[in-house]
Amino acid sequence: MASLKRSLDSDPFSANISSKVYVRSTKSGKVQKIVREVYLRQDIPCSSRLCQTCIKTAPRDAAGRPTTFVLSEAPAGTSVFPQGHYLVPDTNAFLTAMDLFEQSAAFYDVIVLQVVLEEVRNRSLPLYNRLIGLTKSEDKRFYVFFNEFRLETHVARQEGESVNDRNDRAVRKAVAWYGQHLARTKAKTVPAVVMLSNDRDNLRKAKQEGISACSLAEYVKQLRDGDRLLDMIPESGDQGIVKEKRPGEPLYPEYFTMSKMMTGVKNGLLHQGIFNVSPYNYLEGSIRVPAFPKPLLILGRENINRAIDGDLVVVEVLPKDQWKEPSTQVIEEDTITKNENPDAEETADLVSEKERKALQEEVKRTHNKTTEGHAQPTAKVVGVVKRNWRQYVGHIDQSSVSQSTQQGRKQDTVFVIPMDKKIPKIRLRTRQVAELVGKRILVAIDAWDRGSRHPIGHFVRCLGELETKAAETEALLLEYDVQYRPFPKTVLDCLPKEGHDWRVPENMDDPGWRDREDLRGLLICSIDPIGCQDIDDALHSRPLPNGNIEVGVHIADVSHFVKPNNAMDTEASIRGTTVYMVDKRIDMLPMLLGTDLCSLKPYVERYAFSVLWEMTTDADIVNVRFTKSVIKSREAFSYEQAQLRVDDQSQQDELTKSIRTLLALSRKLKQKRLDAGALSLSSPEVKVQMESETSDPIDVKTKELLDTMSLVEEFMLLANVSVARKIYEAFPQTAILRRHGAPPKTNFDELANQLRVKRGLNLSVESSRALADSLDACVDPKEPFFNTLARIMATRCMMAAEYFCSGTQAYPEFRHYGLASEIYTHFTSPIRRYADLVAHRQLAAAIGYEAVHPSVRSRGKLEAVCKNINVRHRNAQLAGRASIAYYVGQALRGKAAEEDGFVLKIFSNGFVVLVPRFGIEALIRLRDLGDPEPAAEYDAETYTLKTSGSRELTVELFQKVRVKVTDQKDEATGKRGVKMELLSVY
Amino acid sequence: MPLDTSTYNLALLRVDGRRWNELRRVHAQIRTQAAADGSSYLEMGHTKVMCVVTGPSEPGPRRGTGGGGAGGGGAAAGAGAKAEVVVSIVIAGFSSVDRKRHGRGDKRTLELQSTVANALAASLHTHLFPHSQVNISLHVLSQDGSLLAALINAATLACVDAGIPMTDYVAACTAGSTSTYAANDEGADPLLDLNHQEEQELPGLTVATLGESDRVVVLVCESRVQVSRLEGMLAVGVDGCKQVREILDRVVREKGRRMVQEGTVEKGIGLNEMDVD
Ligand SMILES: [Zn+2]
Repeated sequence: MASLKRSLDSDPFSANISSKVYVRSTKSGKVQKIVREVYLRQDIPCSSRLCQTCIKTAPRDAAGRPTTFVLSEAPAGTSVFPQGHYLVPDTNAFLTAMDLFEQSAAFYDVIVLQVVLEEVRNRSLPLYNRLIGLTKSEDKRFYVFFNEFRLETHVARQEGESVNDRNDRAVRKAVAWYGQHLARTKAKTVPAVVMLSNDRDNLRKAKQEGISACSLAEYVKQLRDGDRLLDMIPESGDQGIVKEKRPGEPLYPEYFTMSKMMTGVKNGLLHQGIFNVSPYNYLEGSIRVPAFPKPLLILGRENINRAIDGDLVVVEVLPKDQWKEPSTQVIEEDTITKNENPDAEETADLVSEKERKALQEEVKRTHNKTTEGHAQPTAKVVGVVKRNWRQYVGHIDQSSVSQSTQQGRKQDTVFVIPMDKKIPKIRLRTRQVAELVGKRILVAIDAWDRGSRHPIGHFVRCLGELETKAAETEALLLEYDVQYRPFPKTVLDCLPKEGHDWRVPENMDDPGWRDREDLRGLLICSIDPIGCQDIDDALHSRPLPNGNIEVGVHIADVSHFVKPNNAMDTEASIRGTTVYMVDKRIDMLPMLLGTDLCSLKPYVERYAFSVLWEMTTDADIVNVRFTKSVIKSREAFSYEQAQLRVDDQSQQDELTKSIRTLLALSRKLKQKRLDAGALSLSSPEVKVQMESETSDPIDVKTKELLDTMSLVEEFMLLANVSVARKIYEAFPQTAILRRHGAPPKTNFDELANQLRVKRGLNLSVESSRALADSLDACVDPKEPFFNTLARIMATRCMMAAEYFCSGTQAYPEFRHYGLASEIYTHFTSPIRRYADLVAHRQLAAAIGYEAVHPSVRSRGKLEAVCKNINVRHRNAQLAGRASIAYYVGQALRGKAAEEDGFVLKIFSNGFVVLVPRFGIEALIRLRDLGDPEPAAEYDAETYTLKTSGSRELTVELFQKVRVKVTDQKDEATGKRGVKMELLSVY
Repeated sequence: MPLDTSTYNLALLRVDGRRWNELRRVHAQIRTQAAADGSSYLEMGHTKVMCVVTGPSEPGPRRGTGGGGAGGGGAAAGAGAKAEVVVSIVIAGFSSVDRKRHGRGDKRTLELQSTVANALAASLHTHLFPHSQVNISLHVLSQDGSLLAALINAATLACVDAGIPMTDYVAACTAGSTSTYAANDEGADPLLDLNHQEEQELPGLTVATLGESDRVVVLVCESRVQVSRLEGMLAVGVDGCKQVREILDRVVREKGRRMVQEGTVEKGIGLNEMDVD
């Protein structure tokens, strides 16, 4: 009987390949045993330019090109390794200090071991991607050494050895091999091979084995620029820097264990949700949980218990006698904790004297109240499930810097005030206070111990001088997580090779023409804002013989150029949307596509995706069809130009006539929408006018509304609705749609009450129709702006619209509340929104133009896409608004403008005024009204604040006031912002 | 989990440490079941298959499914001018990580059966055995990519062992490309002999050639790949087939030599027929 036993020694391979089999097991939900082969070899080069042996066996690709050797023959030295050195960081070094490795001042000639790369990938994909980026950068000289495949450095896990220990051993073995291997090169100066690790045990073993090894901090200190870099090392990661914990009671209560929290949540005793901080009071947070209709309040430092805005936390509801009303007082961290000493002994009480005073007044107020009905349930944070920490932009609080340390190089502790008001001050230890004061800096939070009043962070990067345009713009982009780096080469490689010379093929047999309709003969034009370069949409209309009208909306055929899943598509799906800043546009797609090849520019032929309707003259749709097409736009109008042309009755050419037809139809469409209950909401929109030469802002203007804007809007809405129906019909489970949930009635409680009390108006919110009607009725005959004001406030009570995948919601939930449409999607702006691009692909598949790509069909993938673009979309809006606010401030700089404003919100110690002309709002506090601070009486029932003493006046909600607007810098904190001064009450 | 196939370009190394043009370790044995007419066992990396051949013999009662039958180049069943090659494949539940059960009528299995039958029928001299049947029964013990290639190679060996006259070895292997279809990378290297992970992540094809010639008898490509990359992949695949043929040939010759040494074959008689040198 022949045996099936294998003889391993009879391997038919050439000498430099050994084969070996080893076993790996993994746990991914189910336990699976995965057996992998590893072919061990000796021809994996060290990649040092010093080495003469490896170059002989350097691997070649299929085209016969050998790999280039990366590591320099004369690498930089440090004070300890003057002969030069190669670095071999372990996994933790990359995980904790990727920022350091991306520095251009140091960290060259780095060997990334395969075992380290694998671990980094398993721990954090974003960091892995950054590391891969480094290995591709030519000047950083990062080399990936596949130590697990090289015979000499392969390490098998020993019995009883943990995976971590094995990996550490693999790193040490690779370092040792490199050392011996380089020594054999007989070079005059052999560079040292230095292992970087923060693991004490690993360092100790390395020393025992005679391997050069340093902790991150030790290493950085050897560098010339060490002090600066030292700050970038995270606090917790380095034993050398973290001070011993001070004795004494911790300040904050301890968190529950994860299992205790989970059982509590399951039993309904605890509640889980996202922690939000009130924009007006940093000591008040709220959390929405499914069990209660209204958010739970979390008041005071101790109850907030180290939660930071956005964290996913678990809370416990407090007994009823501790329930409170939401604060009617403004409490700002800057003013209350202004004088805290960052280096002070933390044994002091958790709640500072000042904070206590502020809270005391709150308590007094609630105790005076007899109406208990208003009290809201309160809660305290008992644990954090997931931190939402990111990197924060801020600046050093000048007042926290002690004078003596400003010159020296001694490590100092300072406070960083984040730009985002909701984020608490961050304690930062640095050696370069002098350089960093007055700069915009990026910091990361490392930890928030029970013993520390404020979170501890480390310095990441300096963006530049405070208040310079470059630094502030970058700060905004970082704050809103906008991907603003230039497109990488892999993305640019996906562009058509012809570049700007790309043309629609002349030959109609070209594959580009397949299934495309030739619509070049139609009188198509586009209408956009002035200076618009990325023209997504164009329109036409023409009378049909039967008396009806053909209307076409033509959208840039972006999906022709961006194929699913290639590098460009991936990048666009990450960016999600183009971001418009006042002086800058961060594109979703490379310029070549966005402003040229896809853009429906006039006078040239372009690919388009067309929606064609037959309509009656009453704008009733007879039928609709969709087709890929080739068009030639006759003209690109601005809204203003189009408006002038339409209004000028002497213009009787076909193009102008067709625009008039469109305009007439659009009015009818709008009326139909409004009849169905579509809302006309409002937010103050302004435009910053720039000096063309210096691009300095010179003026701020409120946006004008033209008929032609509404024309374009109506047809885009119509196209979106038509497309939504079509793709939902074709893909009931996976169509990408956009919904706008009906807001919970409680959202409007306060506004309804305010309108009733102050104006005797009734706000009904049963349906969008009822809301629209009652908003129409919100008029104050004496104040024309009042209606807009009501709409602005109603808009703030709304839910955010969101993208979703049709399979995740029941049909009734598809409804777009604001537009009063059963179903809706985004189709008309594929150049600047990724959702539209997906809709294009789905529509193309729905009309049988192309096969369905798996990525457009996979529900899991689409859900992930929706989740990302919802966030990106919101961030883009916020970033755009913040950019306008910044430029408005710049335009006001050095000037003082007297403007009319309206009281939007009222507190017991101040009120918020909105100035429509600038679209800004600011807080006026009691102490801003006069010196000494006037006393005040606040009546919450009637929303009235009556002051007495140094200044006597009565301020009511919705009241029109005259204010002086200036741009001021708070000398203490270095924070600049719009300040308003009350001149008079109308 | 280890890295994925996208890291190839970092050091021109594949997920298991091979270069683009290297086969995995191939291990094969013939005459593993003494009782059968012909038998073999073959490993390509971690893909492990066993094969038993019976026949040529009188056709048994026809079963409904009948496995993948190929009547030697499309001869109508029942005409009987040539022997019919009937292949049946059993994929063990434990052969893959997810331990999925494969039914006998599983579409993929049926397709594999018919492909193997057609490939072997192209080489076997079926016309010598009218009114008869060659039964090739294959068992998959472990799967790690290139399954079809391993099945064809094992069947070839078992047919040799069974002493059925054939034109030459049918040797098979797979070829792929280092980047995905979507990446549309013109400079992607072709790959030889894909393992499971590579098959999952990258485009690939299976090719089989006849003996030392460039005659392609099987070409299966089930993934999307640009035509421009296909040529390179095919060239590497055909080259791989020749390497596989060398290995199969060595196994057969080695077995022959050992049989002579052990006296299984009487010395003097049949030495020429065995063509052992
Ligand atoms: Zn070397």
